[in-house]
Amino acid sequence: MGLSPSALLMLIIGATIIYGGLAYFLYRALKSMKK
Amino acid sequence: MLIQLLKETKGVNSLVDHWRTRFAFVMAAIGSAVGLGNVWRFPYICYANGGGAFLIPYLIAIFTAGIPLLILEFSFGHWTGDSPPKAFAKINKKLEWVGWWTTLIPFIVAAYYIVVLAWCFSYMIYAIDLRWGANAQSFFLNNFLGLSNSPDIIGGIRLPVLLGLIAIWLISFLVLYKGVGRIGKVVLVTVPLPWILLVILAIRGLTLPGAVEGINYYLTPDFSKLTDINVWLAAYAQVFFSLSLAQGIMITYASYLKKKSDISNNAFIIAFADTGTSFLAGFAVFSVVGYLAFQQGVGIDSLSLSGPPLTFVTYPTAISLFPVAAVAFGILFYIALLTFGIDSAFSMSEPMVESVQSKWRITKAKATGIICIIGFFTSLIFTTNSGLHWLTIVDHFVANFGLVIIGLAECLILAWGFKISKLREHANESSDFLIGKWWDMLIKYVVPTILIFILAVAIVQNIQNPPFEYPVWIILVGGVAPIIVTFLFSFVFAKIKKRPEVK
Repeated sequence: MGLSPSALLMLIIGATIIYGGLAYFLYRALKSMKK
Repeated sequence: MLIQLLKETKGVNSLVDHWRTRFAFVMAAIGSAVGLGNVWRFPYICYANGGGAFLIPYLIAIFTAGIPLLILEFSFGHWTGDSPPKAFAKINKKLEWVGWWTTLIPFIVAAYYIVVLAWCFSYMIYAIDLRWGANAQSFFLNNFLGLSNSPDIIGGIRLPVLLGLIAIWLISFLVLYKGVGRIGKVVLVTVPLPWILLVILAIRGLTLPGAVEGINYYLTPDFSKLTDINVWLAAYAQVFFSLSLAQGIMITYASYLKKKSDISNNAFIIAFADTGTSFLAGFAVFSVVGYLAFQQGVGIDSLSLSGPPLTFVTYPTAISLFPVAAVAFGILFYIALLTFGIDSAFSMSEPMVESVQSKWRITKAKATGIICIIGFFTSLIFTTNSGLHWLTIVDHFVANFGLVIIGLAECLILAWGFKISKLREHANESSDFLIGKWWDMLIKYVVPTILIFILAVAIVQNIQNPPFEYPVWIILVGGVAPIIVTFLFSFVFAKIKKRPEVK
């Protein structure tokens, strides 16, 4: 049995927001440190 | 006399301590926020409150309460540059006790949290020969804890727990007594290592039969739950507890920041890193729980999915059934828990160490020694045969009431008894991006309202459905007394005259 479509959707949305958000703010921090 | 004076002066000078780099501060704050709760609380709360749909209230709670409160504590700590008691005294001398209370409560939490780490320490060794055998529950309760029938049957101290306790308090002392420079170095290992181990455990878990069923339980959304107020309260409570808020930790850590340091962006990084860890932990936990349910032919609902029962009963049972490398994965799991928890544990003692050091002007080593010894003796009750009973009671009341009351007091004092815009302007002076007046509104109205709600619901639920069947005097001693005693002590400490500065 595979992952249900709704669980897969939440996985994609959750991972994108959480890890995308983390990556974005880390990128901002790195950018400001380079200045 | 001169030598004595020099010793004291050295201690006073070391009060001015700073993080070596911004990276060290961010890692230490992440280390403090990320702890056992991310592994044994979030996945279960998520599953029980709408699965994947829970991410919606959780992320809203992060943005409307978690990050604003983090910014509040960071900007307050950075602006004052002092330990919590001195920081609150800067607003009004009569408020020093609030700062003491915010350091005493997490110190109580540290006393039992370190006992749980001592259990992990023992289990890391037991994993070598999978000593819990076929019945992990009986091994944990009878062989390991020797649990008595009632909290008033104290019994004796359990030697394996005591040894682990000594080890963890000793590690805490060795990390803390040298100041934030050493904390900054230690977290370079204790923050990324458990993350790497968690990824390995999640990958292993996902390759086991039945794992997908577990993940379906974890993530399948039930959007109807979003209309339930309790789900929203659970989201806000989880955010509040997970980010080490209202414990004086973030105020203390921010006080070590150099003058030109970012506040807002760091708060976002820490909140997202904490959430990212919880989200990942769900895969490591639910894949293995799914596997165990598959192996035993039972429903996932019938297994213990949170707290100590998950860690010391369900997970070890599953590990014993692993087809290959069961021992290796058992050891990795407990190392991951230990390293997740250790930086949270020493961060809970750090505000107390810093407060004692700055009040009595003693060396950091002496303050750390005193606090670790007091902490060790406080922890002893949790190492006895009745330890699990007391731990459960103290945790329930201190975490659900003590921390929320302090968070509320902190919010009301800083938002209403102080010019909140001053802290916003301070945060904006050195941050990567500016925060607007929306932040003032959140701290003034939204966060206190939510915390009052959480507190009211918790009180009503505790009255309607008492969580324990223990006699009232036991609840008073284990649940109410720690909150009241720390409250009284905070006034006593505030009343004591500060030792004069050595010139």
